[in-house]
Amino acid sequence: MSMQKCGLFYTTYGREDGLFPSRFQKICLALFFAVLLICPQFMNSYVMSIMNLILIAIIGAVSLNLLTGVCGQMSLGHGAFLGVGAYGAAVFSNMGAPFFLALLGGGAVSAMIGMIFGIPSLRLKGIYLAISTLAAQLILEYVFLHAGGLTGGANGLPVDAPEIMGYSFDTDSKIFYLILFVTVLCVLVVTNVIRSRPGRAFVAIRDYHQSAENVGVNLFAFKLQAFGLSSFLAGVAGGLWAHYTMYITPEQFSMGLSISYLAMIIIGGMGSVLGSIFGAIFITLLPEMLNLLTSSLSGVAPDLSAIIVPMKEGVFGLMLVLFLIFEPEGLVRKWRLTKAYWKLYPFAY
Amino acid sequence: MKKLLVLTILVLIASIGTAAAAYKVGVLSDLTGPTSSVGAPYADGIKAYVSWLNDNGGIDGKPVELIQVDYAYNVQQALAAYKRFTSSGIVAMQGWGTGDTEALVKFVAKDKIPVFSASYSAHLMDPAKAPYNFTAAADYSTQGRAGLKYLRESWKEERAPKLAFIFPDNPYGTVPIPAMKEYAVELGFEVVGQENVDLKAIDATPQLLSLKKVAPDFVWTGGTTPSTAVIMKDAQKLGIKCTFLTNIWSSDENIFKLAGEAATGHFGLQGGVIYGQDVPGMATILEVTKNEPQMTHFVRGYVSAMVMCEGMKMAAAKGEVTGESIKEALETMRDFDPMGLAPAISYFPDDHRPNMSVNINTFRDGKLEFVKTETLERKKEWLGL
Repeated sequence: MSMQKCGLFYTTYGREDGLFPSRFQKICLALFFAVLLICPQFMNSYVMSIMNLILIAIIGAVSLNLLTGVCGQMSLGHGAFLGVGAYGAAVFSNMGAPFFLALLGGGAVSAMIGMIFGIPSLRLKGIYLAISTLAAQLILEYVFLHAGGLTGGANGLPVDAPEIMGYSFDTDSKIFYLILFVTVLCVLVVTNVIRSRPGRAFVAIRDYHQSAENVGVNLFAFKLQAFGLSSFLAGVAGGLWAHYTMYITPEQFSMGLSISYLAMIIIGGMGSVLGSIFGAIFITLLPEMLNLLTSSLSGVAPDLSAIIVPMKEGVFGLMLVLFLIFEPEGLVRKWRLTKAYWKLYPFAY
Repeated sequence: MKKLLVLTILVLIASIGTAAAAYKVGVLSDLTGPTSSVGAPYADGIKAYVSWLNDNGGIDGKPVELIQVDYAYNVQQALAAYKRFTSSGIVAMQGWGTGDTEALVKFVAKDKIPVFSASYSAHLMDPAKAPYNFTAAADYSTQGRAGLKYLRESWKEERAPKLAFIFPDNPYGTVPIPAMKEYAVELGFEVVGQENVDLKAIDATPQLLSLKKVAPDFVWTGGTTPSTAVIMKDAQKLGIKCTFLTNIWSSDENIFKLAGEAATGHFGLQGGVIYGQDVPGMATILEVTKNEPQMTHFVRGYVSAMVMCEGMKMAAAKGEVTGESIKEALETMRDFDPMGLAPAISYFPDDHRPNMSVNINTFRDGKLEFVKTETLERKKEWLGL
């Protein structure tokens, strides 16, 4: 009689720790990427631009989640760190550095700045740290605007589309592959960091800093590492944004951007990589969906849309509040519940 | 043979594409974001002109179809909206703020889509940097310079007039300041100070107290109408006797609602006329708005659409209407008079400043009152600065 397993059983720790334990998951993921890779052939530049924005947002959200969700260090300055990376990458790129080098350079500058602003985290926690990172946001915004020689000040800084070995990634579909590649790389880095010793140290710090110190976690070093890595990845996202829009100004990296990244990880699910991805998709798509809704409504019921359009911002806020009340663990929990439901379908118990 | 077939099909598809029923134009508006109080009337002005044009024959018989997207003053959303426009095949676009217009400078240059924005930063006037950007009003620096010239000419005393600047510390606020300072000194002003007042400020007393010590005769304010109202009210409270010169976004019909009598006697710069002002083009505006008073931003949006459509008409007269042909047509535009609704407009291939003029209004009896149109010489060295 042949026996079939009715679940996932591991015989080694290594297998249990694997990113994708089942073959089904691997197949799904491969199919997903195959679809992603061919979709630029069929989609128009509007859809592709949304996908590009989502991918960039994913890097930003995943990196903030590493700092805030995994390591428990609140940051209100993530948008500004993104800006540092964007300006860094733009400056390197304008000096003639090849694209990937400029991207890494931007990330490195951002990591350095992030670590400097992370120093207070040794003494400050929670809301106090949030305020000190808010200061970082304001200081960096000031620098973007007033370091005219370096950042172009109020006039902004033009950047050329990325070029690798003479091939210019100047359309939405072309740059999509580039951004997708970098995003996958960044997500893999964060996923693996969380599974490694630094990642476990981050979680220990988040859960209770004193216990973490008692078991030999160097609080200062690991908090700085979290700030450094998070800002580095934010800087990479910023570098991609700079090369994608080809023109950066201080207004693009305002407080609002920092808040929307926080919204992404709250809606997606704190401390979860998959959650950050969901959050990034949700927050980027929401205004587009509301726009489509209002513009299609204005054709059918102009009176109704006249009422709804001014309420758009309100709808956005309402969504956030409802999420916090009904799904405080974020979209990722909904995803897990859905998966669990289908796993045993139709024999749920 | 196969290649030929594919080619014919492609040409057919392309010709169907261009022979579409209407010219599509994207309208990027802020209807719900932080600048919506001025963005909405501006967008209404654009729509009002285009619907009037469509009722009166359109462009060579073809109507103009507007695709409006509200981007809530968010750069990411502006980018997505722009891509939506280009996917639906627009030939030109009406833009809005500083952040989004700058973020799109390179995209519109690459896609060859002429953009009329309501961001009047001087560097957008230089075709070497922003080849597809146009505006229907002079840049902030030119407006400021012209305003200063007016103040200097109306100054009667022997001593040099003292001038101070108040502006928010953001790109929009800081952009014209160096140019204005330089020109002020050239005109014989004594520049005595500068202060930053945030756009969301509810109190400007500390800044005004330090200005009070230097006793300026004139104070430039570049902000929004609410922030200007705060400054004017606090100045009155502190008994500062100075005349304010407010920029294009710092004063409109709401100034009296917000500042009350504190606004009386100060000056405001505008790129277009006031609703109801006695100019030939006003008759149409009164007709399309059914005598319902509109803000001056409405008129400016109206003019912006009018100039763009004039460019499209010129392009249509020469041949096919594409983004590129509209740009080329616009660059041959010389002294186009938008029926008196704004100073006459010319564009050159190497200079996109629409004119060197600004309308100066004063605030009296709860209303804006037109004083004069001040015009400067079109100096090469001022382009982009």
